[in-house]
Order: sequence, then structure tokens, then C-alpha cells
Amino acid sequence: MIELIDFTLSGDGIGKGLKGLNLTLHVGDVYALDTDSSADAVIFLKALATLLYPVQGLYRFRGETLDFSDYRTLLPIKKKIGYIGSDAAMISNMSIRENLLLMRYYKENLLQLTTDGIAETLCVQFQLKESLDMRPGALTPSTLRLAITARELAKSPELLLLEYPENYIGQVHLDTLSDTLESMPLFQMIVVFISSDQHLMERFATKHISIINGNLVMDIL
Amino acid sequence: MNQIPGYIGRRAIDSVNHIINIFAFNYRLSILFFNRPLEGRALVRRIILEQIYFTAFQALALIIPIALIMGSTLIIQFTRVSGQYDLGKVMIVLIVREFGPVITAILVILRSATAVTTEISYMNVLHEIDAIEMAGIDPMRFICLPRLIGITTAILCLFIVFDLVSIIGGYAIVWILTYVKMGNFLGQIGNAITATDIAVGIIKALCFGVTITVTCLTNGFSLKKQITDIPSGTSKAAVECFFYCLVINVIISILFYL
Repeated sequence: MIELIDFTLSGDGIGKGLKGLNLTLHVGDVYALDTDSSADAVIFLKALATLLYPVQGLYRFRGETLDFSDYRTLLPIKKKIGYIGSDAAMISNMSIRENLLLMRYYKENLLQLTTDGIAETLCVQFQLKESLDMRPGALTPSTLRLAITARELAKSPELLLLEYPENYIGQVHLDTLSDTLESMPLFQMIVVFISSDQHLMERFATKHISIINGNLVMDIL
Repeated sequence: MNQIPGYIGRRAIDSVNHIINIFAFNYRLSILFFNRPLEGRALVRRIILEQIYFTAFQALALIIPIALIMGSTLIIQFTRVSGQYDLGKVMIVLIVREFGPVITAILVILRSATAVTTEISYMNVLHEIDAIEMAGIDPMRFICLPRLIGITTAILCLFIVFDLVSIIGGYAIVWILTYVKMGNFLGQIGNAITATDIAVGIIKALCFGVTITVTCLTNGFSLKKQITDIPSGTSKAAVECFFYCLVINVIISILFYL
């Protein structure tokens, strides 16, 4: 469960910002974000990903209040969050394979690892197998975004954030992403997404979050 | 007219803030250096080796000719006044105490410091640092610590190579190519060099390594948004590194030799 209490964000130069948001996100729900400003939606997703810090208010992740005064305390939380959005990036001086395995390299303290499980499946589904030994700079933008999507999904995140997936990975791969999402244990996750694809909203959203003028208008069941 | 003191004051405060940031960054890295969790150690070790390869090994092709030119030129020049000076002593003073560490530092600033600042700035602007954090990894440990250890080790190695090549190689070149009389040059070097000279050279190399790395990392991390700020940030970092190294060089020389 994620709780935002009196959560206020500045516009960060791109949106109006969010004012005193009080919101609870429950595990197993897929939230579709509906805002009057796409910039505010992006800000909201980035704040949920702890990439933007609130100017006021509390963020509780599974009962734990996040301390934004020290980024190091956020690291264990960040690795439980999958963020598929405009600001997601790959590390350019590592290959795609190394990027996909980075968390495991670090955690397991081994460098002789291979992609397996969900990462392997995603590489096949997104046709990334031939690109695994290439650097991110050598990939086309769409392939790079697919690789980022694969990396974030392979984390098996507890909170998954998607920013206009239809634009991000393109319509061609949207069905693959949708099928992958459906095959994932969504009942163990919180998913928040913004999309202009009505079909995607209807297919996945179990709840809607409406933010108008930076205020939470309603939380429709 | 009142704007001038205001401008000077703001610049002074910014400069003090910047230096405090560098010290704070250094402090954080020192803690990380001594706090050695098992997690991620293999990855950190690999990046350290990569940094040593880029900074030391790849620079050998550049530092060896420079050391040979410096060493042979100094030997030729000072043999002309060898009646007045002890050639061995002069070479130790110039090469081991002063030129060795400073030229090594300049070379590393030109090759690696600019590269590190550019790399970190790009990583910052292109959200790669965020990507590392989203993997639950501390960028200070993953990016900064390996560069600190790698570049400092590399400078130390390059300093030793520079000293040996400029003295022995310089002597060999002069002996092979000219008829300049050098007397018992290597014997003079052996008599002139002291443990303090070697210690000072090593201390300077270590201080330069830490200073260059931390200055570049601080400048790299301070650029957040604009990709167009990267070139000016990089040149600012290089100039700062050079200036700090010269100041440290003077301080160490004063501490040990005055």
C-alpha cells in the first residue's frame, strides 16, 4: 500500500504542480491517471518513482515513511519501483545485457551472470536477443525504449509506473507489453499509468485517479 | 556602483560554497572508501581496473615520450653549467620533487579529468544517474569511488614511470645521441635522492589524484539540466584541477623543504 499525505509538488518548470494530495494506492489495483495537464501527470509519476521530491507532505511505501532528506534511504525503495517513462534511461557505457543484469551483478556480487527468467522471456518477446551485447547508443530509440521496458519489468516491481506506453514503446509493441502485463502477477503490484489509448485504459484500469488543477478530484472505483 | 561589491560578494560566497562542496564530497568518498560492504564489490573492482587501464595504461604512450624529452633536455641544459651545480641533485629537485608530480597531474587533467567531468555531466543530464539509483545502487559507490581509487592509483603509477623514464631514459638518450660529458650521473642521482624526496613525490601524486577526481566529480554532478553547460563545466573543472594541484604542490613543498 502506498499513501500520499498532504503531498505537494512544485511544477518543476513544466507543470502546475500538485497541491496537498491525499491518496492511498492499494496493492492489486491498476490506476489510470486522468489529468487536465499531461505535465502534471508526468510529475506525479516521477514523484511516485521518487525521482522528484515533494516540497511538503509524506510518502509512505508499504507503511514506511520515506525520508527525502537523504537519497541513500530511498535506494531500497527505488529498486522496488519500475518506471517506464520519458526520463528512464540506460547506462551508456554498459551493454544492454549488463544494463539488464545490473541489479543482479550488484546484489549477487558476481559478474558471470546470464539473463534468465522474466528477463530472458522479455528479451525474446521484445526481440532484444541480438542487441544484448550492444551499447545503448548503438540501438534505435524504439529498441532502446523496449530494452528499458524489459529492464523495468524484469525487476518484478512492487510499483509499476507507465507514462504513455503507447507512445513510449510504440503501437507495434503495445500488444506485446499488454500481454506481458497480463501475464505478470498484477495482484501483487500497484500499477499507475497514464495513457491516451482508451482501449488500454479499459483493458487494465481498475481505478481512476483524476487530478485537475493540481488537486485530486476523485478516486473512482 | 553598489552592484560591484554585491557581485564580488556573490562570487565569493559561490566560490566558498563550491570549495565546501568539494570537501564534503571528499568526506563522503572517504567514508565509502573505509566502509566496504560485500554487495557490489566485484562490479566496483571491475570499474576500478577499467579506470586504471584508461588513465594509466593508455597514457603510457604519451607520458613516456614526454618524460624522455623532459629528462634529456634537462640533462643537456644542466651539464652546460655542471661546474656550478650537482647534476644529480638538480635532477632530483626538478624531476622527482616538482616536475614529475605536476606533469603527471597535467597529463591526467588533460586526458582523464576532462573525460570524467564530461561523462558524469552527460550521465546526469541524460538521467543515467537516476537509472543507477532506480536499480537500488548508490551512484557514489558505483561511479565515484571506483574513479577515485582508479585515477589516484593511476597518477601514482604514472608518476613513478615519469620519474624513472625521465632520469634513466633521459640519461640513455643523451649518452647515445650526444657527446655531452655527464660524469657519474646515475651515481650522483643515487647519492642525491633521499627517502623524503620519494615520500614527497608519492604524497603529491596521491593528493593530486584525490583532488583531480573529486573536483571533476563535483563539477560533473553539479550540472543538472542543460547539455550545453557541459563544455563550459568541463573546461572549468580542468582549470580548477590545475589550480588546486599547483596550490597543493606549493603547500607540500613548503611543508617538507622549508
